[in-house]
Amino acid sequence: MAGTSPAMTLESVDLEDDWHEFSGFFGPNLPVAMDYYLQQLAIGLSLGMVYALMAIGFTLIFGVLNVVNFAHGEVYTIGAFTGLVVISAFAPPLIVVLLLVVAVGALAGVGLERIAFKPFRRFSDEASLKSRAMREATLMSSLAVSIVVREAVEIGFGSQFQTVPLDRLLNSPISLGPITIVSGDVIIFVVAALMLGGLQYVLKRTNVGLSIRAVSSNPLGAKYVGINTDRTIIWTFAVGSMMGAAAGILVGLYYGAIFPSMGFIPGIKAFVAMVMGGLSSIPGAVICALILGFSESIATIFVPSVWADMVAYGFLIVTLIFFPRGIFGGARDRV
Amino acid sequence: MNRRNLLIGAGLAALAVSGGAALAQQPVVKIGYQLPLTGNTAQYGQDFKNAAEIALAKFNASGRPFKVEIVFEDSRSDAKEGIAIARKFVDDKEIVGVLGDFTSGVSMASAQVYKSAGMPQLSQTASHPDYAKISEWQFRNITTQAQEGPYNADWMVDQGFKKIAVIAEQTDWGQTVVSNFADEVKKKGGEVVFSEFFNRGLADFRPIITKIAREKPDAIYTGFFYEDGAQFLKQMKQLGLTIPVYSTSAAYNQKLIELAGADAEGMHLTATFLPSNPAPQVQEFVAAWKEKTGQAEPGQFPAQAYDAVNIMLAALEKAWPEPTREKVRDALAATKDFPGVTGDTTFDAHREPAKKLTKAVVKGGQFVAVAD
Repeated sequence: MAGTSPAMTLESVDLEDDWHEFSGFFGPNLPVAMDYYLQQLAIGLSLGMVYALMAIGFTLIFGVLNVVNFAHGEVYTIGAFTGLVVISAFAPPLIVVLLLVVAVGALAGVGLERIAFKPFRRFSDEASLKSRAMREATLMSSLAVSIVVREAVEIGFGSQFQTVPLDRLLNSPISLGPITIVSGDVIIFVVAALMLGGLQYVLKRTNVGLSIRAVSSNPLGAKYVGINTDRTIIWTFAVGSMMGAAAGILVGLYYGAIFPSMGFIPGIKAFVAMVMGGLSSIPGAVICALILGFSESIATIFVPSVWADMVAYGFLIVTLIFFPRGIFGGARDRV
Repeated sequence: MNRRNLLIGAGLAALAVSGGAALAQQPVVKIGYQLPLTGNTAQYGQDFKNAAEIALAKFNASGRPFKVEIVFEDSRSDAKEGIAIARKFVDDKEIVGVLGDFTSGVSMASAQVYKSAGMPQLSQTASHPDYAKISEWQFRNITTQAQEGPYNADWMVDQGFKKIAVIAEQTDWGQTVVSNFADEVKKKGGEVVFSEFFNRGLADFRPIITKIAREKPDAIYTGFFYEDGAQFLKQMKQLGLTIPVYSTSAAYNQKLIELAGADAEGMHLTATFLPSNPAPQVQEFVAAWKEKTGQAEPGQFPAQAYDAVNIMLAALEKAWPEPTREKVRDALAATKDFPGVTGDTTFDAHREPAKKLTKAVVKGGQFVAVAD
């Protein structure tokens, strides 16, 4: 008896302890711990959607049309400043602001194409059309335009954060059980989904989309079969820049941060998402933008936030080394 | 050339007519001011220039035996530009003192030139701990975190906050915000339960805020400038956090309230300048600022620039007649209880200003002084 009793007691104590530990870990703290992770995931999702919004227009021009464009971030900035000017002048409803911004974005895109891209298509002989150098020269011309635009905005408005009327910010909190999102999350989700769906429809089901895909996979061949390549390229710029400008004002109002160099960081994140997604796939870029947002917010759980910025660059390097065609880059077709 | 002579002649004639011929012959003392007038930090430099011009106009109109001219040079907050300007100022034998630069980095790079040439340098904003240690020629008119950190720690612990979370920007300055504050909190028996840095210009603070919320601190101490500050406060309210926030004088800017609106309400900070201060020199400066710039009230940085210029002008007056760079330096070092808009300034043996800090809170869209 004396021999077995302590053993039994020990066993029961052990169980008891285990139970306490168990309940301590998952029991009383369960809501708190789970809430914390759920909230971080919700933030990651909204970060990802902000990147995705930028990545859609960026991938359309850069990836799908296969034109190196480093001025997309400035189209985003122009969109945000246009929206701000419109709001301060007339204070119309958000949908009207968006429409005006999209119109200005289209103009900016066409202007950008005219200044930085068209001059490099001046020669239509076969050698020039096939030349990679001619194609990639737009890397410098678009970069130059982006610098000029950024500095011009800075001279016009100053480099500080612009004051956005506070009632126009898209940041009213919405509580969903234990987590909190804001109104802007919903708007950005809807707009991003519409953009993605609309573009997929245009690219896959319409003649315009067909000609965009034709120009992107073989500009010379497209020319030979009678596609107006100039007009197709201008249209793609207009559509891509409309989306960039819309992203600019939405994210500007989402964070309340509108300033001349605001397009730089989102541009980098969109670039990484595009490369990860396989350069030419818009759905791939969107999925990778979401992965990027999730990863950044989850990384903040484990490491100081200064390191969270490393996530995007880490992904870029890993993708380039191990998935040179991108995670979703298997398919040949550009969409 | 002819045209210029004609203009000068016309100007002199006009002065003679108004009986001011003597004024035109007054000797002129030159000082340099290096500051960012273009580039990312241009908004600060423009404010300094306005403040300097207000101070200068007042001085030159006050019937002193000499006039002062300030040579403004644009450094674009670029260390290379700063050094080039410093060489230019040093080579100009007429310049006997220099003000600026804006950032600690550029001020310290230029300071090497001033150190070897023997030129007194007074920065209105360089707050890096090592700046004034460079040589006996460097002065500053801004309190450092060595003074503010312990002051704020005492304030918060006295308010009954035991568990404090600290966040600051990832810069040399941000490091000094955290270290000076945390040391004093520990000494006072409080606890720093969370400490993290963020990259300046971070768009989304919510992952950090969520992390802070998990530690359930009594209060949050922050080292940020107004733009990051506005983002942090807005996103904190979005997530429904109501933990009291304390900050340094770097966050003191009316623009913070403009950007964050009601979400800035209740934020505590220390400042050396409050435009609502009824002292006559403060009200005179605020009125002159509004008239000159058409803006609202000046922030802390222009006020520091205004005082820095006035301290320099007072030093020139002490060094008069025949001011030299050495005499101006000695006069600056002897500055004692200078009555400025940022409080009385005295330079200690290490050329650091000791200033009286004011506790303030955001209330009704204004920074309001509080007793505790």
